Amino acid sequence: MEAWNLIIGNPVLNVLIALSHGLGGSFGLAIIALTIIVRLITWPLNKRQLNSTKALQEMQPKIQELQKKYGKNQQKLQQEMMKLYKEAGVNPLGCLWPMLVQFPIWIALYQAIMRALATTPENLLDLAQRLYSWGIVNQAIPLSSQFLGLDLGQTASANGGLGLLLAIIVGGTMWVQQKMTQAPAVDPRQESTSRMMTLMMPVMFGLLTFSFAAGLGLYWATSNIIGIITQYFITGGWGNLKFQSPFQRASAEGK
Amino acid sequence: MVDTIPYLSYRMKQAKVSLLIAIAVLPLVLVSCSGTPFSCSGAAQPTGGWSGPVFHDGIIYVGSKDGRVIAINASSREEKWQWPDTTGIRGLIYTTPIVDGDLVCIGTYSGEVYALNRADGEYIWVYPPKGEGYIGAVVGSPVIANGIMYISSSNGKVYALNTTNGKRKWETDHVLAGKLWTSPAVMGGTLYVSTLDGHIYDVSLETGELLGWSFIAEAGFASSPVVYEDHIYVGSFDRYLYSIEIGSNVSTWKFPQQKPAGNWFWASPIVNEGIVYAGCLDGKLYAIEAETGEKLWEFDAGSPIISSPILRDNLLIIIGELGTLYVFDVDTEFEEEVVPLRTISIGASVKSSFCARDGLVYVRGEDDSIYVADIERGEIVEGWPVSLTTEK
Repeated sequence: MEAWNLIIGNPVLNVLIALSHGLGGSFGLAIIALTIIVRLITWPLNKRQLNSTKALQEMQPKIQELQKKYGKNQQKLQQEMMKLYKEAGVNPLGCLWPMLVQFPIWIALYQAIMRALATTPENLLDLAQRLYSWGIVNQAIPLSSQFLGLDLGQTASANGGLGLLLAIIVGGTMWVQQKMTQAPAVDPRQESTSRMMTLMMPVMFGLLTFSFAAGLGLYWATSNIIGIITQYFITGGWGNLKFQSPFQRASAEGK
Repeated sequence: MVDTIPYLSYRMKQAKVSLLIAIAVLPLVLVSCSGTPFSCSGAAQPTGGWSGPVFHDGIIYVGSKDGRVIAINASSREEKWQWPDTTGIRGLIYTTPIVDGDLVCIGTYSGEVYALNRADGEYIWVYPPKGEGYIGAVVGSPVIANGIMYISSSNGKVYALNTTNGKRKWETDHVLAGKLWTSPAVMGGTLYVSTLDGHIYDVSLETGELLGWSFIAEAGFASSPVVYEDHIYVGSFDRYLYSIEIGSNVSTWKFPQQKPAGNWFWASPIVNEGIVYAGCLDGKLYAIEAETGEKLWEFDAGSPIISSPILRDNLLIIIGELGTLYVFDVDTEFEEEVVPLRTISIGASVKSSFCARDGLVYVRGEDDSIYVADIERGEIVEGWPVSLTTEK
């Protein structure tokens, strides 16, 4: 636990408080700024993921061609598709790394939000032992937890209607981002799995937002929105958000 | 090798990994919160309070971690009374009880102030009266002067209550800060209030009106103000101790004079014969010339000093958070090495205020027990500690 605090927990906490001080005491803006910083740090990984997604989307005509050619031989179809991916230098698992990298940051950020706001006397005393000697950090204490009508230290559920709105924004933006980054499905089973994942993740994060401090929800919402914007400009469009797989089209046509 | 991996399995694997990662988020976040002193569900629930003991007529009065006020006979170590009974927990207590005549008064984190009969713990009054809601959490200990109790509240207001009946005499018109967690200081006809957002206000004792002077610091004030002669001494989150002349807009001095201390001055300092004794969360006790702010000496207690020092006759007593009590003779002129007169290990972590009487120091440990240290013998008195925890 000490190593965690030393390496990631306390640095994130101090940077967050310093940002808050630099942004006129707005803790909400500090969270948004930190999100942008995190996005910049993980940009190389994100860019790789976005490029993979773009490549997958551009390969769609070839995939459909292969499907027509080897549609009755699933094993051959899969082998040919893997060959295609290999030739294009695309790794379908590549999109997981940015997410994995962000997990420790989420945890550290959550801890930082709760510790920085120090809603109880014990929290405030605990905070004293975690702050660096930077003047801007110590001068920023105590922080205001209010941002756009939300109390960032309270759960979204405790924030009433605004908290619910935040949870919906987190879930909604995550759904949009997932649809944009989703590779096209090539068979009904994959389509079903993909659809389940696209729905389940936003619902889960929406519920998490509702259960945890609103500050974390603000981080997720900001991160998702940045993700959507970068995805849009890297891939040059809305990706799979507009795209329908051959199976969706088939079912829509009643085949 | 890659060619032999079926694509579908690959994609399914990807989906399963994503699912597992998503499911892992919840326990990871929960695990990340364990070991921190706050709840994950909004961190609004503190974990115990740190009420200190007060000694009066052979009885120790203290608030327990489960929110009861307990009276213990200091000689027999037997519990005299407790309030409320074990089934009526009221909320957490950070304030040290205050004795006034036949009353024992205490403020709670749930935003109420209680007055109990000192003899038997019988409930006398509560403010706000039942059914009239709550004021904000009371963290700073109340102060009583001339039959009026002054309370800082987390709703940013100060209240004056008549101790005989609990009726409100006044409350400040303005919200002085987002939260008031320190005790006010009374001097003459004025109440001085330090705020977490870095203000000091003077408030009329009679009416609760702001008298017009305020001091604004660059950082919030962590400690309660102490008034000595015409100056206020108060610790700040910027790691300085401030000396402020009442009525002035600039500080007389800030200590340390060069770079800031190693941490906040959380505990209120005490001033005696022109010397300020200030404990710091960096673990050091500083003796400072009150007039100039020059350091006379310092002593490293080895752990953060959360409790304010106390002075009995010529003996200065401090306790580090890790539970070591140090006694200094303030008449000693330390030159190079500062050596305490006594060093006594309490054996428990200490965050509460403490008190001393007749050569004995009464301390509430974080294990919710009362310890009594004998200064002369340099050890814990036999038969102590006494646990405040209710056996269930």
